[in-house]
Amino acid sequence: MANDITTAWQAYTPTADNPWDAKKVGHLYRRAGFGASSAELDAGVKDGPEVTLDRMLNGGPADADFEQSSEFMASERSLPAGTPAVQLAAWWLYRMLRTPHPLREKLSLFWHNHFATSIVKVQNARYMLGQYRLVHRHALGNFRNLLQEMTLDPAMLIWLDAKESKRGKPNENYARELMELFTLGIGNYTEKDIREAAKAFTGYGIKQGKATFVEKEHDAGPKTVLGKTGDFAAKDVVDICLAQKACPRFLVTKLYHFLFSDAETPKAEFLQPLVRQYAESDFDTGKLVATMLRSDHFFSASVYRAKVKSPVEFAVGIVRVLEGNVGPLSLANSLEALGQVLFAPPSVKGWDGGPAWLNGQTLLFRQNLALALTSTEDARFGRRCDPAAVLSRYDRRTDEAAIAFFLRVFLQDDVSAEAREQLAGYANKSKATKYPPFWSADDVTKHRLRTLAHLTLTLPEFQLN
Amino acid sequence: MATRRDFLKSSTLLGFGGSVPAFLGTTALAAPASSKAGAKDTILVVVQLTGGNDGLNTVIPFKNELYAKYRPTIAVPKDKVFGVNAEVGLHPSMAPLGQLLNEQSAACIVQGVGYPNPDQSHFRSMDIWQAASTDATLTEGWLGKAMKAKPVPAFHLAADNEIAPLALNGAPARVPSVAKLEDFQLKIGGASGKDKSDQKTVIEAVTKGEMTTEGQPKLLDFVRRTAINTYESTDRLREIGKNYEPKVPYPASAFANRLKLAAQLIDAGIGARLFYVSLDGFDTHAGQGGAAGNHANLLATVAGGISAFYRDLSARGHGDRVCVMTFSEFGRRAKENGSNGTDHGSGAPMFLVGGKVKAGVVGDHPSLEKLADGNLVHSTDFRQIYAAVLEKWLGVDPKPILGEKFKPLDVFKA
Repeated sequence: MANDITTAWQAYTPTADNPWDAKKVGHLYRRAGFGASSAELDAGVKDGPEVTLDRMLNGGPADADFEQSSEFMASERSLPAGTPAVQLAAWWLYRMLRTPHPLREKLSLFWHNHFATSIVKVQNARYMLGQYRLVHRHALGNFRNLLQEMTLDPAMLIWLDAKESKRGKPNENYARELMELFTLGIGNYTEKDIREAAKAFTGYGIKQGKATFVEKEHDAGPKTVLGKTGDFAAKDVVDICLAQKACPRFLVTKLYHFLFSDAETPKAEFLQPLVRQYAESDFDTGKLVATMLRSDHFFSASVYRAKVKSPVEFAVGIVRVLEGNVGPLSLANSLEALGQVLFAPPSVKGWDGGPAWLNGQTLLFRQNLALALTSTEDARFGRRCDPAAVLSRYDRRTDEAAIAFFLRVFLQDDVSAEAREQLAGYANKSKATKYPPFWSADDVTKHRLRTLAHLTLTLPEFQLN
Repeated sequence: MATRRDFLKSSTLLGFGGSVPAFLGTTALAAPASSKAGAKDTILVVVQLTGGNDGLNTVIPFKNELYAKYRPTIAVPKDKVFGVNAEVGLHPSMAPLGQLLNEQSAACIVQGVGYPNPDQSHFRSMDIWQAASTDATLTEGWLGKAMKAKPVPAFHLAADNEIAPLALNGAPARVPSVAKLEDFQLKIGGASGKDKSDQKTVIEAVTKGEMTTEGQPKLLDFVRRTAINTYESTDRLREIGKNYEPKVPYPASAFANRLKLAAQLIDAGIGARLFYVSLDGFDTHAGQGGAAGNHANLLATVAGGISAFYRDLSARGHGDRVCVMTFSEFGRRAKENGSNGTDHGSGAPMFLVGGKVKAGVVGDHPSLEKLADGNLVHSTDFRQIYAAVLEKWLGVDPKPILGEKFKPLDVFKA
């Protein structure tokens, strides 16, 4: 039983009742990455769970061209300090669309949301880029190192006002969020802990783009934080937080919501094996993620489609699946209306996620973006993401073949019979439509095929991840 | 201008039966003819100041010497304060609300509002205010619960990137978030009118379709409901408020634009009675400024927007129907910090604006002598104001929502 605590975290092995199939490959690629192309789906099914999971966890072969153009686009000349959020977001979207290691980008997104630093306050794209590189470096590494470096990260020093915090006049912002949002969660510390910890974060500043320590501005006196007393500096308080029992549990729970389910948190004892592993490995995130993604529970029915797609997952997913080549700046611009600007989360808490992504307005904007991406008639994207071109690449010539193709790549055929009939119905009806006289037969065919792609994307199931 | 009657005539609303989007469904039933008493139905506009507004620099005890002493760099000088009575005055940026009080008796200032054992986490404290409860787990909002008792049409007027607030959770139908009416449409890439309608038929049909067997039916259900609600309201919303000409100019701010959108929806007479608007940026830990600067600009945005909104509606005869209520998750520390800003605090003022609010100041300013952990101590529980708004303004029994403890505060004219 996948939800049985004794077996939930053991590795998934296919059975007759619970076989390895396209649905599972799609699920893995959506959660651990940003969706699978038709070729990736086929390879995943053929290669089986072990090989496919290894591929996902380790990433594909390094792509020197990709890293080179990514570096080039991130140079100070291309992205100077005054670059607006949307251009920086475009750069990251380019990485998500092209990376050979989607899981690393996905976990970087998790940590970006965890530390939720916004360029709106930091006002320096180089610092934001620096913070991205920090989370990317440690995305699947050690959380202790990530948090220690994050505490002295220039963007973070500005974001939570630690840069302004001086002996005798401590600013509490970083101390509070360190405990509430980064390590422990509410209820696991007191207001007094925050006021005391804030003293340890005095005296840090930024000089020439790097963190500095100004001894005379640091409160070197004794502090009592979470039951420990000493002349603590920043590093000591971070270690004290990491040593709390609440810390690995808090992080595992948050990662569970990110990778598994928006819905209710599982019982404490259910997550206990993961919590123990994370603590015993001294916060080895890569190892934790591997256990989670390989697990029987990850491939169980209760986790399947248990998340609402984030705007980034929605948009990048469509483009990756259609093997498109859209300009990332256009994509970044359109994500704003969907409620997610990378490098500009709405508050220290990050994006709320889950059902909060969807309301009347954002749902309409999602459907309208799906149309813009697939119609080839929108000036922002043009023909750079053309469903008709993908069909001909895979040699799908008929209406039936087109519907089958879109349902497989986007939803792995898991839709109601009614939805299938509706799509076939449109294919049929649209043969009788009177098209503008200047359209060629080829124009008409392509319009109908592109429309079938768009209609598939409007299925409610596609909003789920 | 589209009238309510056009709006109802052009829609096939009453034919939809069970799938009527709830906020329009109740509208069709609730919109009374203008001669009837129901046309005077009260309207509540909740304005959330996100980040923790510095109450002490909003309603200022300018006579008290401790005030200037606590705040050497950010105190507002006495001669800049907009006097309200002998003890307190408003930040100069709040003058538009001061003028509403002096000229139209249309503003009420409630001092020292908060709750016991104040929480200083933005998120926890905001949840407490929005749910009107300090329970450990909060899933429903006070307005959501009010709509359960009285399902009035409501709108969340959203900024970009802004999600629907907890305050509205628990309503019988999800309250729509709207940023711009003209954007509120489903685009379809049809080759002809027939092609478009064929596609729309498919989109609506697949939305209502049967459940798949696996996965999370609850979540899929949620997507379906949101989609049904949205598609059926888009065409109608676009007709509302076309060619709206405000009676007074609104300031050029996104916040004022959201209030203008509320005025459009009110004036369209579709029966909308509850609006929720937020303004972010009040977390002034550093470089807050005094009579001028960051915080002053935020207050000017709040006061300018609300004043224009009230004057516009008042000129249209809705002045006595509307009540605007402001709140923030907490006030800020009495003493400024070392970064010319203020850290998270507690007790702070609330404002009510409207033709029927009790004009003037309610309650005393929190003591500057007796602080709790450096914070101002509240004298009025915010739930007493909620109780008044629920009972006296919306006509909803506050007890099931707030419990027995909170007596309505006297904030409305008799």
